[in-house]
Amino acid sequence: MSDPMAEIRASFFVECEELLESLQDALNVIDEGAHDNETINVVFRAVHSIKGGAGAFGLTALVNFAHRYETVMDEVRSGKMEVTNEATKLFFQAADLLQDHVRAARDGGDEPAGAEEVLCALEALMGGPKIEQDAEDEVSDFVPMGLSLDLDFGGDDAAGPDGGIDEEPAWSIRFRPQPGLYASGNEAFHILRALQGLGEATVECDTSGLPAFGALDPEAPALAWTVTLRGDVDEAQIREVFDFVEDVCTIEIERLAGGGGAPALPGLPGLPGLPDLPDLPDLSALPAAGPEEDEAPAAQMEMPVAPATGSAPAPAPAAAAAPAPQAPAAAAKSGGGEAASATVRVDLDRIDRLVNLVGELVINQAMLAQSVAEAGLPPNSSVMTGLEAFMMLTRDIQDSVMMIRAQPVKPLFQRMARIVREASAAVNKEVRLKTEGEATEVDKTVIERLADPLTHMIRNAVDHGLESSEKRVAAGKPSEGVITLSAQHRSGRVVIEVKDDGGGINREKVLEKAISKGLVPEDAQLSDAEIDNLLFLPGFSTAAEVSNLSGRGVGMDVVKSAITSLGGRITITSEAGVGTTFSISLPLTLAVLDGMVVHVAGETLVVPLSAIVETATLMEEDIRSLGPNTNVIHIRGGFVPLYDLGAELGYRHPKDSYVGDIVLLTTQEDGSRAALVVDAIHEQRQVVIKGLQQSYGHIPGVAAATILGDGQIALILDPPDLVRSASGRTRNAA
Amino acid sequence: MTARIALAARLDLPAAAPLAEEIRGQTGSDIEIDASAVSHLGGLCLQVLIAAAVAWREAGNALTVSAMSEDFTAALAVFGLTPEALISEKHA
Repeated sequence: MSDPMAEIRASFFVECEELLESLQDALNVIDEGAHDNETINVVFRAVHSIKGGAGAFGLTALVNFAHRYETVMDEVRSGKMEVTNEATKLFFQAADLLQDHVRAARDGGDEPAGAEEVLCALEALMGGPKIEQDAEDEVSDFVPMGLSLDLDFGGDDAAGPDGGIDEEPAWSIRFRPQPGLYASGNEAFHILRALQGLGEATVECDTSGLPAFGALDPEAPALAWTVTLRGDVDEAQIREVFDFVEDVCTIEIERLAGGGGAPALPGLPGLPGLPDLPDLPDLSALPAAGPEEDEAPAAQMEMPVAPATGSAPAPAPAAAAAPAPQAPAAAAKSGGGEAASATVRVDLDRIDRLVNLVGELVINQAMLAQSVAEAGLPPNSSVMTGLEAFMMLTRDIQDSVMMIRAQPVKPLFQRMARIVREASAAVNKEVRLKTEGEATEVDKTVIERLADPLTHMIRNAVDHGLESSEKRVAAGKPSEGVITLSAQHRSGRVVIEVKDDGGGINREKVLEKAISKGLVPEDAQLSDAEIDNLLFLPGFSTAAEVSNLSGRGVGMDVVKSAITSLGGRITITSEAGVGTTFSISLPLTLAVLDGMVVHVAGETLVVPLSAIVETATLMEEDIRSLGPNTNVIHIRGGFVPLYDLGAELGYRHPKDSYVGDIVLLTTQEDGSRAALVVDAIHEQRQVVIKGLQQSYGHIPGVAAATILGDGQIALILDPPDLVRSASGRTRNAA
Repeated sequence: MTARIALAARLDLPAAAPLAEEIRGQTGSDIEIDASAVSHLGGLCLQVLIAAAVAWREAGNALTVSAMSEDFTAALAVFGLTPEALISEKHA
């Protein structure tokens, strides 16, 4: 068994990622000009929740940063600070730094640099650090005694904090750990400390339930605590502290008489924080926003995930929207119960195991189908109809399991938003990132492996794609450049586009550069598309000077090979003065593949369907010889090199004649074509990919393997790779 | 004679039962508990200490907690207790 504490810590960091995501979302909304309370609350609560969790784990640096950020957001929330463009920019920077802090805390890295500057800048906007806020925070070693009024307020243990007693609610929280709280790795100490971090707190330890020492079971909780809490706290915040332990302790939360001038409502524990009291103008805004702010990010986060758990995506938004109308009633549960019911966190290993098993099931089902076919049963026998239903079920299960691995590209796009911010600041350009289709789902592995190439493309777009502000204005464009990052599903693949509205590719310059580097002959006649594709050649960089942003020798060729290794293709379109679009087309999953099963020299091979443009039977007049060893075929008005798969893979010598043979016309990323000779096409089907790399390393021309219905192993070809390393021999040298 | 028990640094769930055992092993004698090494005090070990203190007092023996580390007293405060309250009859 793994360490429960480590698990809780891990889930805290997963939650942090989600909170950071909702933080970014809210900041984007603010950036678009919406300064409403709700949105600002989302920002505040995201930062606050991270702080709270970090406090429980003693992550001091993270807590300190989050606290100062939160303090500023609190000022905004209370309307004391205006949201200007400058402020929004700093909010974004602070959010980026918060993310760095979270990562540093998680991975044990160094604290990010520059945090102090951003915080100071924020605090300067706010009018200097706000000292009295610190009094409410457990991590601050600074306790401003002078502000404490020590008023007797409803109980001799309840010392009021600062002057705002009348405005501040007081809460009585009774907390009794149940068996299981400690056993699940939780600790009353952390919970009490987190509660005390919310505001001015007094704690009473109730030992009445403690048995005599002789009868005491040291591992059964027997103590209980009552915490009286004052400060700007709503019930949701208190509930949040108990997020992890709701089911292993009893919690009674009660609003105290006198705290906040609200009428006393004893005996109503568990009610939300009396949202609509007319004499609490500033408070009413907060709890009323409570359910919204908790639900809204949750709904946004869960929505794309929800369809993954089933095959019906439609009900998800409705379900996510449902909690909103239940306003105050929902507040009581808003501490996270919502999220728990909508989604389940599952270890990735378990999903992978499931994916693997379903793969085996598909193979097994194919084997069964084959045996049944060989047994010669009549097509309408009950076995055959049963098998057909079984096949459809298998296919459905496979699709559903693949959907579990699918994730929306949104987090990836958010990372790109940060890259744009940083890159544009580095080259001093005004750039706005527009994202489209964030909810598009792609296999998790694809998303992870897309991050680096996409980062590079975005940097390129900022650095090279967009012109400087002056040039843009001179060309009659808005000074702010726009980079559009979009994702969409198109015919079973996902297409991701990076589009800029810059000056387009300067083809003259590109060609000149390619010639000067000896990449193309001087007298080469290249089409526009061919010139554009020169960008993907290794070692190509058009930047006259190497900037520190891009052009560090890592060119688009690296991007291209990363995309290709994912089974994807990348293409460029560019129009002078209008902009450049890089388009990446990727398979939805890396676990299965639609392939054409072919026979060559007695071997069975699978060619990915995505690589095949068309198939044809060769006629005598189609084949032209080119040199002593090489043939090309004449097809659709062009000449395409002919490759004998059997010869290239070493199964046989080149044949004397290919007349009557079948060719698969394949296309490469650069648009060039190749014709592969096969003996027969067997069928077209989905195959489960079984990696070979771990056992055999990289085999030229072979992407992976699969197991066919008859139990035979078939290699899955990688046509572009095959052609790259091919000899091209299709004739026996006489 | 006075028995001495040195508390471990982490007084969490795994430490609770051994701590209770160790204290029970000294039934009948005075105990001086050394809390100088404590860096974390959890709720379970806290209740062992409180229950032991009650039992010792009732039996007329002395149980003292000495050399409390800063973390120890800070944790007591979080739990709503003072060093005195820990071993006296009245709890906060």
